[in-house]
Amino acid sequence: MQRKLSIMIGLLVLVVVLVVVLLMVFQKDETTQEAAVIGEPVEKEAPVKQIRVAEQVPGLITPGVWDGQVFSMNSSIYEYLIEINAETGELDPVLATSWETNEGKVWTFKLRQGVKFHDGSDFTAEDVKYTIERTQDPSLGHLKKTDFEVVESVRVVDDYTVQVTLKEARPTFVYLFTDYNMAILSSEYDYASLGESKPMGTGPFMMSQLVPKESALLKKNPNYWAEGLPKIDQIAIYFVGDIDASISMLESDRVDVVPFITPEIQQRVDGIDGISVISPYQEQRFISMRVDEAPFNDNRVRLAFKYAMDPKVIARSTAKMELNDGVFYNETPIMNMLAEYKELPLRERNIAKAKQLLAEAGYPNGLSTELYYASDHPFGKELSQTVKELAAEAGFDIELKGYTRDVYLSQYWLNVPISITGWGGRIDPSMLLSLAFKGGGPWNESHLDEPVLNDLIEKISSEADPDQRMAYYHELQEWFYNNGPLINVQVPYLVAIKDNVVGYRQPLTMLPQYKYMDIL
Amino acid sequence: MKRLMEMFLRRLGSLLATLVVMSFVIFLLVEIMPGDVAQMILGQSATEEAVAALREARGLNDPLLERYGRWISGVVVGDLGDSIYMQGVSINSILWRKVGHSIILAMTAFIIFVPLSIFFGVLAGVKEKKPTDSIISFFGLATMALPEFVSGVILITVFAVQLKWFPIVSVIPIGESIWQNLNIVVLPALSITLVMFGYISRMQRSSMISVMNSDYIRAATLKGMPRRYVIFRHALKNAMLPTITIIGMNMGWLFGGLVVVETLFGFPGMGSLLMTAIKTRDVPLIEACVLLITVIYSVSTMITDIMYSYLNPRIRYQGGQK
Repeated sequence: MQRKLSIMIGLLVLVVVLVVVLLMVFQKDETTQEAAVIGEPVEKEAPVKQIRVAEQVPGLITPGVWDGQVFSMNSSIYEYLIEINAETGELDPVLATSWETNEGKVWTFKLRQGVKFHDGSDFTAEDVKYTIERTQDPSLGHLKKTDFEVVESVRVVDDYTVQVTLKEARPTFVYLFTDYNMAILSSEYDYASLGESKPMGTGPFMMSQLVPKESALLKKNPNYWAEGLPKIDQIAIYFVGDIDASISMLESDRVDVVPFITPEIQQRVDGIDGISVISPYQEQRFISMRVDEAPFNDNRVRLAFKYAMDPKVIARSTAKMELNDGVFYNETPIMNMLAEYKELPLRERNIAKAKQLLAEAGYPNGLSTELYYASDHPFGKELSQTVKELAAEAGFDIELKGYTRDVYLSQYWLNVPISITGWGGRIDPSMLLSLAFKGGGPWNESHLDEPVLNDLIEKISSEADPDQRMAYYHELQEWFYNNGPLINVQVPYLVAIKDNVVGYRQPLTMLPQYKYMDIL
Repeated sequence: MKRLMEMFLRRLGSLLATLVVMSFVIFLLVEIMPGDVAQMILGQSATEEAVAALREARGLNDPLLERYGRWISGVVVGDLGDSIYMQGVSINSILWRKVGHSIILAMTAFIIFVPLSIFFGVLAGVKEKKPTDSIISFFGLATMALPEFVSGVILITVFAVQLKWFPIVSVIPIGESIWQNLNIVVLPALSITLVMFGYISRMQRSSMISVMNSDYIRAATLKGMPRRYVIFRHALKNAMLPTITIIGMNMGWLFGGLVVVETLFGFPGMGSLLMTAIKTRDVPLIEACVLLITVIYSVSTMITDIMYSYLNPRIRYQGGQK
């Protein structure tokens, strides 16, 4: 017995010695590990007010080619000429204090004075000119290139006035500046080589430390122009690839905010004390039918498909929510929450009618088709499954084809009979119309090329009179209701958040406004 | 000794050949992965123009062999290139930090499971068919049958959620190093231990039994040698051989393949880095990670072979005693 005991003790001592040796060996490595950290080392003082966020691992983050991950990081470092007020939906002046136009062709922006970039340089009209002209840089592949092709010239009137002349009238041109890729950049900063590792703008927070693929620490900008903002001292952002791990961090009080969660995750955190799920805005899921090929080239087939749908069932089974209470449904590209939306009667489910329409179109025994979707996108699986089952009763035999988002987008999207694609909301829907529903548009997933529609879209983007423009919008929606290849399901963008974080604001532009947030 | 040296050099040569072949295979495999890197990087709002510009800027349009040549010539001099995302941020600065974390995790797991499983394996082997043996064997089988994502969840539930001894997620708070947060290593290491314990202890047990039944042990026992002496001096050295092979074969996995464990615990090591790299199609980073894992596998196999032949003269002197 004593022998065994001594063996056990011997083993234990061995383990302890090994641990100590290893610790000593690795302690020396500390310096090399520190070298991996970009930026200044963190001070050891306890932070006063900090909000911790778990976000996806970022892809490209330089504005212009920013892929729309890590919104909390970029929206805090960079700023825009204008922003959307998350509460009223109106335009708020940020780096521009005012703007005016003569019928949408020449735009004059007055800029805010006394604003400094994080590197200490002054913000002037040159920076705005640089930011706009940068969109057309062919080597960059700027994501807003098409939108800004309409710009003829940018003139610096004085240090704080910029005049933009367009090739043709664009009465809603100013909304383009709310796009997340249109952050105002410094004309003197080398974004090509530093944009990814040392992002720099005029925003309320400055990058203090960035550990690639792991975390970022943003500190309050001491020279921020708006008095009393930001309310917190720093934002700590963890890049977590796995949404379940992010939620575990929230549950174990490692983070305070987890954006972009799925309905399943929402159910998991529901009922946990101190954590709520909020939905700052809606996103769109377009169910698009391809109209230049059978079977959806026949409007009767499209109508049959729409008659087979049941909006209430879609809302419940996709997002576990009631229709018009979190989930919205229509058959046009205009979101229900926008002023341009025209309320058309909700199509009641009518299987008999759907079957009749299919028979008239030459499919008395139903038809087979394929539906493609991004399986790793929130609501993708749930929505496609629901659509498949609803359509089956009317005689649509749909084969579901789910792929990860990059595979879906690069290999199938734009070339399939039915697709479900996520679309961010646009505060000015005309931007979306010419890209996705006009003949020749780059993201024309339903392959529409209807003269009536093309004409309407053209009129909407150039009409200066708001009332007339609204009339065109209504006409467009009626066209879609009667002939369109589209079902627009609007699902909530969900954010899991601690109850002690107050003032969470995130408008339709998807840019959270951390400067207004506070932690109790 | 000369033979050992000769063998070492021969093994080293074949190791290098393996690495060259593997580097090309890795490069090709990543190449044929579905999905387009540029599209992936730019997301849905990417226009064709933007994708084309990015492909050009990152040199993705160059011929395959040219890109392979560029990559491998960098690797040879220790430059793993830039991450496809963070331009200007070298992979070296991302990778080695995570490798450091992974080594700490692997070492911790190693010093827990190796003595533990060998000790209990020997105990079970010596006490064959007695209750001690049954209990150890049952426990070993049970933990072996549980995949790490199940045992991991059990560990989290018991030690993190219920007892609150360790954190639920193995995250290093921003601005701190792993040394200030060593408690994050414990649960992942235990999870690995549970996977490895059954495997190694059973191997140790069966080889112990066969050695204990061999003639020379019986002779040693019969001539009146103390049992402890017989077990530790005579039996253990021979009974360790298969165990060492198994441990060696798993070293690669232990240092680089802990994708499931690291993802489950959110541990910032090489496994989760590889996972992130694959998810985001960060091609240079995937290649760097996989190549490193290949190196670890090859080197650990080589070390195992050398140790094996050191412990087993029959292999060392294969050509006959000179």
